[in-house]
Amino acid sequence: MLRAGQPGGAPPLEMRGVRKAFGPVVALDAADFHLREREIHGLLGGNGAGKTTLMNILYGLYRPDAGEVLVGGRPAQIRSPRDALGHGIGMVHQHFLQIESFTVAHNVVLGTPSSRGLRLDLSGAEERIRTLAARFGLDVDPRALVAELPIGARQRVEILKALYRDARILILDEPTTNLTPQEVDALFGSLRAMVDEGISVVFITHKIREALNVCDRVSVMRAGRRVLSVEGREASDEVLVRALVGEDVDVRRSLLFSDERAARPTPAGRPALRVEGLSVTSPQGAPALRDCSLVVREGEVLGIAGVAGNGQRELVEALMGVRAAAGGRVWLDGTELTGAEAARVLAAGVAYIPEDRLQDGFLPKADVAQNLILGFHRRPPYGRGPWLDWPAVYDAARRLIAEYRIRTPGPHEAAVNLSGGNIQRVMLARAFSHPCRVLIAHNPTRGLDVPSTEFVYTKLLELREAGAGILLISEDLDELLLLSDRIAVVYRGQIVGTLPRPAFDRYALGRLMSGVADGG
Amino acid sequence: MAERALGPARPRRAGVDAALSYAVSVAVAFAAVGVFLAAMGFDVPRAYGTILFTSFRTANGFAQTLLKFVPLLLLTLAFVVPLAAWKFNIGGEGQLIAGAIGAGAAGIVLPGLPAIALIPLGMLAGIAGGALWAALPAWLLYRFGINEILTTVLMNFVSFGALDYVTTEVWPDPAAGHPTSVPIAVGARLPLLLASPPLHAGLVVALAVAAATHVYVNRTTGGYELRAVGANPRAALLHGIAVRRLSLLALVLGGALAGLAGALEVAGVHHRLIEGVQSNYLLLSILIGLIAKGNLIAVPPVAFAIAVLDVGARAMQRTMQIPVEVVFVVEGLILIFVLLSDVVRRR
Ligand SMILES: Nc1ncnc2c1ncn2[C@@H]1O[C@H](COP(=O)(O)OP(=O)(O)OP(=O)(O)O)[C@@H](O)[C@H]1O
Ligand SMILES: [Mg+2]
Repeated sequence: MLRAGQPGGAPPLEMRGVRKAFGPVVALDAADFHLREREIHGLLGGNGAGKTTLMNILYGLYRPDAGEVLVGGRPAQIRSPRDALGHGIGMVHQHFLQIESFTVAHNVVLGTPSSRGLRLDLSGAEERIRTLAARFGLDVDPRALVAELPIGARQRVEILKALYRDARILILDEPTTNLTPQEVDALFGSLRAMVDEGISVVFITHKIREALNVCDRVSVMRAGRRVLSVEGREASDEVLVRALVGEDVDVRRSLLFSDERAARPTPAGRPALRVEGLSVTSPQGAPALRDCSLVVREGEVLGIAGVAGNGQRELVEALMGVRAAAGGRVWLDGTELTGAEAARVLAAGVAYIPEDRLQDGFLPKADVAQNLILGFHRRPPYGRGPWLDWPAVYDAARRLIAEYRIRTPGPHEAAVNLSGGNIQRVMLARAFSHPCRVLIAHNPTRGLDVPSTEFVYTKLLELREAGAGILLISEDLDELLLLSDRIAVVYRGQIVGTLPRPAFDRYALGRLMSGVADGG
Repeated sequence: MAERALGPARPRRAGVDAALSYAVSVAVAFAAVGVFLAAMGFDVPRAYGTILFTSFRTANGFAQTLLKFVPLLLLTLAFVVPLAAWKFNIGGEGQLIAGAIGAGAAGIVLPGLPAIALIPLGMLAGIAGGALWAALPAWLLYRFGINEILTTVLMNFVSFGALDYVTTEVWPDPAAGHPTSVPIAVGARLPLLLASPPLHAGLVVALAVAAATHVYVNRTTGGYELRAVGANPRAALLHGIAVRRLSLLALVLGGALAGLAGALEVAGVHHRLIEGVQSNYLLLSILIGLIAKGNLIAVPPVAFAIAVLDVGARAMQRTMQIPVEVVFVVEGLILIFVLLSDVVRRR
């Protein structure tokens, strides 16, 4: 067998004619894929194109209905992740699972042969993790509890897990969706270090710019097939977008590539949402949000920029009434909502797109329709007094599935079967399904493909036209620059500056975000 | 873990799939145990004949089966309703006993009342007793976040003490050799659907309650919220659902259902308080709830099937000296195979 860790790097890998159907859904149809030695291979594709499924087959989580996998030119039978690791293939999932009450080292060694004895030699493991971390720039303390780590560090733990098992081919499924720009840069640095040591990387992403920046080669999938592979140097925005969406879409007319960040009449509506002096204390007692005041006017998009973890989450939680504020007041259309429970906030006309779709907005065991009504279930047409009108719910769900192009066999399908981006579409369809006065949108396009992102932008601007106030919290500066009328920057729980649209400037925002400048 | 069936009927194919996986699970479980029984020299066809058909050969057997079915059904609901909110009520037998004591007390203390008042009063006392018994763990969960599994189990032990006290100190029947209370008033006894073999009207009550529970969980906004809490409490909270209040409600509701089971046992079967009213119902009800995967439509038929097996197993032990535990093994295997078939289908 071709053992991983041989000098000379990872063996090339090939998948041929792979087909995989889930009941009536054909996720992959005659898909192929070729990974060379020592390369970072970008894998792009629309939501539900089959990227995750293809890689899950490579990692032994699914059996293909047809097709074969060749490692180092020889057919390989990969029936389980253990087989995959035997061939040197490791994977970091889009939504990974860790044991929160264990330390980093414990999570890493879990399931390796050395952890199956009676006693666990953790100190040896810790040493090895430290070495690996230093070698690849994956900074993480092996003794830290996973529960206390931010998402970026947890992801490094997942990568270390694979490296610890001598993976020579590393699959990363949308690793950058949850990372701050700094973390993304660091990750790319680590990937380069890996390739220099002979490891090959498959890197799934929706961000074309990332793919162009870091990848040696890029493949694009559409509707269950690979439709394009190009060398990184030969790739361009346009080539990739064309492959992603098909020939018939006029890329140049797209909102995403438009450069009209130019003037837009300043909204002068009445305040829809008003927040005064809002403060939130973290459970550990530290101030997480300090004396935050803001106004979102009717027909205005107020962007909140900032590196994740600077109080955005606390702001949203306080507004949604699930976290007690230490001080401050909130009004919606002149009605005071200070301290109101989530039910009242929603009833008052707030719609909400959660930051972390899986944790904050998703019922995995329910079906798609039941997910689409969460939060609106007491209102007509769904709720009528104590009764839920299921026929109305399923009718509405069918409509929303069509309108938001959620890729699923139907409203009865279990929601766990949705692909990552399609779960996000459920969140959006839900938030946009009812008229609202104020929309709180937290990273609304995370994990969405290019056309869907554009669709969301269109919807947001429509809502703005209709006179709703939109609080757009995002880590994506391009998104904020494109959509916002004003941008407020949060740093360490405080609003450190607010820029009106005419004064938008990437560098000024960047300085505010890193806390080096005082804004006006 | 048990997968909660959510919402109204799924498309037909899923139903057929599920029925098939149940049938295969049952057949494989029986076959596997059959091999062992045969190897040990037992007459397997006769043993299985006894297990499966005792309930249907005689009117008496059938009545016995229905009498077991009633508490099993209600106790399973007491487990499954909190389970919808992903709360584990392992205190069904304690709540059943508390309900029995409530109903018994009503029937003993108020003998003068007419049946039309006394019977409902006994039922209500039972429901209140069970709900109260679950209320303490529920409150501890609500107020301090203390895990309900531990506290509901502990409340079982408290109930054993309480029943012992009531049957030996408060209303003891000195003539009985076993801790037993004096009988409840004739007016507190449930009417009979069938005089011989005796079959009390609690069957109707239990079926009606099962139907009502199904409607509540699957057709109302409250039931939807309950299941949303079970599926993802944080998402539920962020979308306006009072998660902690609902968890409390779910456990108390479970207690009320178990309490009703206790009341029916006292007013319909024993006509007195008696140590051991809880039988092995708790264990069986958890088994039923898990085999049915929490699905309220599946619960009644599964409960009935388990009642059939239980009655059959006892007959087999009497006539063939094969220990009843054999049937527990079969039931356990069915559960394992049902859960396994999910895993297999997912690949
Ligand atoms: N276990 C499953 N059961 C049923 N359908 C599934 C399952 N896994 C994936 N699918 C379906 O297969 C298709 C491809 O899904 P996949 O997760 O591979 O998409 P993806 O390219 O990773 O998309 P995204 O960018 O949204 O993550 C989707 O339509 C999805 O709904
Ligand atoms: Mg995916």
